[in-house]
Amino acid sequence: MNGRASTATRMGFREQLRRPLLLVLLVGLPFLFISWSIAITEPTPRLITLPGGEQVLTTMKDLHGAIMVPITVGFLAGLIGLFVIRSALESDRRLVLAGFSPGEAIAPRLIVLLSATLVVLGVSLAVMALDFTPAAWAPFVAGNLLAGLIYGAIGALAGATIGRLGGAYLMFFLPMLDIGVAQNPMFFDGAPQGWAAFLPGYGPTRVLLEGAFSQGFDAAGALLVALAWLLGLAIAVIVLLRRSLAGR
Amino acid sequence: MTAVATSGFEFLREHLRARMTLAMLVVLPALFVLVSASVLGEFAAALGGSVAGNSASALGAGWAAAFLAGALGFFQVASSRGADRRLALAGMGAARVAAARIAASVALAVLISVVALLTLQLSSGVAHPPHAFAAILIFALIYVGIGTLVGSLISDPLEGSLTVAFVFLIDAFSGPGMSGSNGIAQLMPTRKAADVLIAAGAGQGSPSGDWIAVGLTTFGALLLAALAFWLSARPRSS
Repeated sequence: MNGRASTATRMGFREQLRRPLLLVLLVGLPFLFISWSIAITEPTPRLITLPGGEQVLTTMKDLHGAIMVPITVGFLAGLIGLFVIRSALESDRRLVLAGFSPGEAIAPRLIVLLSATLVVLGVSLAVMALDFTPAAWAPFVAGNLLAGLIYGAIGALAGATIGRLGGAYLMFFLPMLDIGVAQNPMFFDGAPQGWAAFLPGYGPTRVLLEGAFSQGFDAAGALLVALAWLLGLAIAVIVLLRRSLAGR
Repeated sequence: MTAVATSGFEFLREHLRARMTLAMLVVLPALFVLVSASVLGEFAAALGGSVAGNSASALGAGWAAAFLAGALGFFQVASSRGADRRLALAGMGAARVAAARIAASVALAVLISVVALLTLQLSSGVAHPPHAFAAILIFALIYVGIGTLVGSLISDPLEGSLTVAFVFLIDAFSGPGMSGSNGIAQLMPTRKAADVLIAAGAGQGSPSGDWIAVGLTTFGALLLAALAFWLSARPRSS
């Protein structure tokens, strides 16, 4: 990264750090959502189906703890992506006019988005670990990270195409409907319905549920689906932003 | 009066001019009601609650309307501060600007509530549509008040959106039929509205005490919204 891009990145972080309420919310919301969800859920037995077809008997309390992490991370990353990119579109055109290349203007915004997603993910995992320990951490963390990155990219796309208000409406509901309902093994028969496989949360959720309740790993297909979503969305975000910043 | 009506209509047009925003206002509550109708009863049971069947579906419609209305209230204040002040200074006055904003917000809340009710009617049926519509609209109006209050205190869109979401999730999770009915649940803004909506979903009437309580809460929320709009529109003394 050259000097201009690293200065823009530093300024991007400073812009976020100047808003103390945002930091409080990014730490406080995961803490409250996840710890409270676990605390108020009954430990009733629940049979779920993992990606390899294996059936596991767990409890609603453990399931709620595990599934609240990607819901929270997806929800927060989506809103951060939306507003970071809106802000970029409003101000970074001036950077481009002043001589930055579109890539130099976009990279700092994506680094801020990635960092905020990692903060939310770290806090969410730490809070969850107080009450629930996944069977295998690596796939659990990977699944949640993918959920955050995918929804961060969807938020960025919404910010660039739908606008602030429509994007906020979308990012309020989409993670809840996708990860919170369609992929959630607390509902239906413990496995996602057929139509849920077409939603962006399918791959990440299957991967993290495998990590949460199994020490083996039979979710390679779901992992590939998640990576394909992430790659496609990342390309779309970069192309759209480059075009928006360079086009005027 | 004409100025209030004209401005209210223009505020409404401003909001609905973006086709995608209008599409989200119609599609999202419908989608949420459809998808959540089949799972909210299970969710309530997992939390130790008792709401089920049509009552749970009705509660989902109220939540969808509330969440959208909260975001709507927030952005109405947060994004219009400068314009409203100029409008007030240009001769309309802060009170009339606030009245026009309230009128536009109520109209949008009605639109969201109609969509939620129609979806509810088509997906699971409603025994008493006027009763259910009133309860869903009350959810939306209470959240217009909450959203505008947040918007009057916080101008940053990300911080404001997260704050509205924070209030909503605590309210929804601790509401009647969900995790409990004691302690903090008693203080939640839509507590009585949820009682009325659950009763409507089950095809039962609500006691007059509940209607009075939701009427007062809604009036208080709209008063709060009017105050927030007035405060953001009033000219600053130099």
